[in-house]
Amino acid sequence: MGRETLAEEALILLRTRLCDPHFVFSLSCNSPDSNYSKLKFIISSSVTEACNNSVLLLGPRGCGKIAVLELVLRDLLVDYPDLISVIRLNGLLHSDDNGALKEIARQLCLEHELVFSKLASSDDNSQFIVAMLRECGLAHKTIIFVLDEFDLFAQGKQRLLYSLLDAMQTVTSQAIVVGVSCRLDADQLLEKRVRSRFSHRKLLFLPPSKEDLYKILEHALILPTDSSLSHDYAHEFNRKLHSILVGQKFKDIISTLSNSDATVNTLLKFLFVAVSHMDLNFGFLTLDNFKAALSSFQRQPKLECVQDCSILELYILVCMQRLEVKEQNSYNFNSIMKEYKSIHSSFQTSDHYARNVCLRAFEHLQERELICFTDNRSYNQSAEFRPVKILISYHELSQGLKSHHSCPAILHKLLNRER
Amino acid sequence: MGKEETPQIPRRTTRSSSSSNPILESTKPKTLKPLTLKDLVFEESQNSITLDNIFSAFPCRKNQILELIRFLGPLNSPLLPLVVYGGPCTGKTSILLQIFRHLKRPFIYSSCRTCYSPRVLFESILNQLLLHRRFSVNGYSSVKRCEKPLDFVNFVKEAFVGVLDKLKENSEKLMSNEVINGRMMYLIIDNLELVREWDKSSQILHFLFKLYDILNMPEVGLIFISSTSPDTYCLNAGYFEHVPVVFPDYTEDELLQIFFKSQENSKIYSSFLGVVQRPFSRITKRLNELSTAFSPLYKKYCEPLTEVGVVPNEDIKRRLFSHIQPHLGPSLNEIFRVSCQPCLEGEMNAEKTRLKKSTWKLEAHQNDIDCHMSISAKYLLVSAFLASRNPATLDASLFDSTGGSDNRKRKRKNSVTSMEKKETAEQEQLMKGPGTFPLERLLAIFQCITSVAEIDLDEEQVDNNSLIGQTGDGGLMSDVLLQLSSLCNANFISKGPSCPLEGSIRYRSTVSEELALKVARSLKFPLSKYLYRR
Repeated sequence: MGRETLAEEALILLRTRLCDPHFVFSLSCNSPDSNYSKLKFIISSSVTEACNNSVLLLGPRGCGKIAVLELVLRDLLVDYPDLISVIRLNGLLHSDDNGALKEIARQLCLEHELVFSKLASSDDNSQFIVAMLRECGLAHKTIIFVLDEFDLFAQGKQRLLYSLLDAMQTVTSQAIVVGVSCRLDADQLLEKRVRSRFSHRKLLFLPPSKEDLYKILEHALILPTDSSLSHDYAHEFNRKLHSILVGQKFKDIISTLSNSDATVNTLLKFLFVAVSHMDLNFGFLTLDNFKAALSSFQRQPKLECVQDCSILELYILVCMQRLEVKEQNSYNFNSIMKEYKSIHSSFQTSDHYARNVCLRAFEHLQERELICFTDNRSYNQSAEFRPVKILISYHELSQGLKSHHSCPAILHKLLNRER
Repeated sequence: MGKEETPQIPRRTTRSSSSSNPILESTKPKTLKPLTLKDLVFEESQNSITLDNIFSAFPCRKNQILELIRFLGPLNSPLLPLVVYGGPCTGKTSILLQIFRHLKRPFIYSSCRTCYSPRVLFESILNQLLLHRRFSVNGYSSVKRCEKPLDFVNFVKEAFVGVLDKLKENSEKLMSNEVINGRMMYLIIDNLELVREWDKSSQILHFLFKLYDILNMPEVGLIFISSTSPDTYCLNAGYFEHVPVVFPDYTEDELLQIFFKSQENSKIYSSFLGVVQRPFSRITKRLNELSTAFSPLYKKYCEPLTEVGVVPNEDIKRRLFSHIQPHLGPSLNEIFRVSCQPCLEGEMNAEKTRLKKSTWKLEAHQNDIDCHMSISAKYLLVSAFLASRNPATLDASLFDSTGGSDNRKRKRKNSVTSMEKKETAEQEQLMKGPGTFPLERLLAIFQCITSVAEIDLDEEQVDNNSLIGQTGDGGLMSDVLLQLSSLCNANFISKGPSCPLEGSIRYRSTVSEELALKVARSLKFPLSKYLYRR
């Protein structure tokens, strides 16, 4: 079927775009006031003027810090091919100094086609790095250090930061240190001696505004009419897409999504889910795809957990809630059993089960993370005596009971009575 | 080599090594074929399956299967990392693997349950990627030693590049498309919730969640399987949630459908299910627990039926129901108990009791202890229980030479304040649990009890070969300490942290009162006389 293969090609193209952050952020390359141009200006001026520099990129996760940085570096490598070499470090992996030095040495060797020895000690590595910095400085080549998860480098003694920033103070070296962090106070974490060597340049990356969100949306979803896809199909696709995008319902969907999380990554995830829901037989995106994607974003996991519980587990949850209302500060499985027995003796329900069965249901609840122990495994107590607490609120529990498909009415009564 | 020669051999040999034939031991190790790219796909020797096969194999999961296939997308399309989550026993792992079998795409599977530490996890992934098999020739070693995420990232990037090149060559050859589809590689990490219990868990979890960004390879797809929802992973550093795929628990109708599908004799089984499923689903809705509970009950249900293939009408159904009715109640309370294999004499005894009484009485079973313990271990258990329950100040009066006082002689009128005191004391007992005791107190109680009981045991001493009262204090103590450590390992007695003031280790008895009573009854020891009741 011609339509299906066309739709499949379009789907592959859209998915490739959405999984590639560089594509999405390339929109911001054009405007003069964006972070992209500022960063490009900072780095290119340091490269051309042969001076040292340092800058911090800060902003919540998913706002495109690394993506914009990569775009800048890619463009600069095109503009100044031999004048730049890039070393990438990540705070998750390289936060201990020896590992970081080894990694820097390895990447330098890789770039300059030298042989890297794994057995080199950290002293050897640091001497090598200093020597390389000097050589590159003499050859007017700038080394750019990208430190991802910068705040993790700032834990401990900050030796690596100090040595890097210190090496930049010499006249012969040419290096730029770019730190990327999701903590907005990352520069407050630096020690005094490190902070004095750090230029306090910060670029703030914020989640985009509503208009920018729409621009990104269109940029991501509009099919190119001059590529390998058939012209008519792409045209039809874009036309249908436009009619959806201007509709009020779509605007409501987007505002619901951006009310909770307006970052670009969330939008990309949403579009990915919507695009995957595209019906290949029909071949075009519809509003239902977007609605289905939004519903997968609006899950309430704890409510679903309560709905999945069996009736005995619901009894235990209600007993725990009643104990909390009675203001017992700490209670354990034995007190819950006492409450359970008292309920059955006063109401004569049919759900009275033996203690070992209740203990197992208690463990199921623990696995679902609806309850947890409050102590830290002290005293090696068996599970029946350790204090527990319930992890959902009264409101969530009553909502869950209402939407449970076979909850006995007695539980509603018991839960409401104490309030 | 016969067994009669073994005493003459100066070197000690085990029974198995001395009785086995030495010629067999020196065979060459089996040579196994080296792994190829085809091993990255789900077991090519099995026939490929269609989508309908998957739908029929997993009855109520059509929506989830379609959702997964949609997210995996057409061939060679990149995907954002997925998180498949749902309760245990909902079919996440098996459905995902069957989907990969259907799609014939190459993947690597690693479970955090079998790979119990970061090093094992990393090495297992690298072994699979580099097509390395661990067997006796290379000493069961992995292809690379990899402990830290830093090394892992470097190795795995190279390994992925290598595999992706091979896949690319493979896809250009037209014939091999029947076995492997596509140029993309998928990495499946199962049981992600267990990573939270590793040490340095937050570092590893953070690393795994960011693995997609760190690798920066669009031809690699990541899929995580977890049995708890993503909001239970509390990482302080703010991470980005992946695309969720939810497997909700089965509802009662879906459970009926699944059980129905698994049995051949559908009519009788469906009437059986109609009887048992509702009451049992009130306790638990997990498939594995329900199926272990149903199978012995089904055997019981079918007992009165004379022919196998009969179609039950209302009359037969009523008869079968009345047959199974009395067993439903007790088996509801036994639902989580997996029956151990009884020994032969136990079975014969059970048969005898069954012949005597027509219904299956639980009391006979309840009087037996499930495990076999020596007499000194039983006495030790009882003394530990007494030491935990009674306050230490009572020991002198309880265990004096008159063989324990009778608490019931002292009866006082229960005034209001003493009732209140009793209630608060009960509450405390509920909350605090059993008390701790030092080793000396346990041994003192043990000696008192066994000196009392020695008189009764003398007649049985000949048969039992018990150590009580045999060699005097020295031999008794050493054996008691050994028994104590085995009771600790069996979790009957738990060892607490050492008290910083006194500097000795304190123990705590963790058995319930019914088990202690059972043990005392088997020893004919009057436990209730010694228990302190407030």
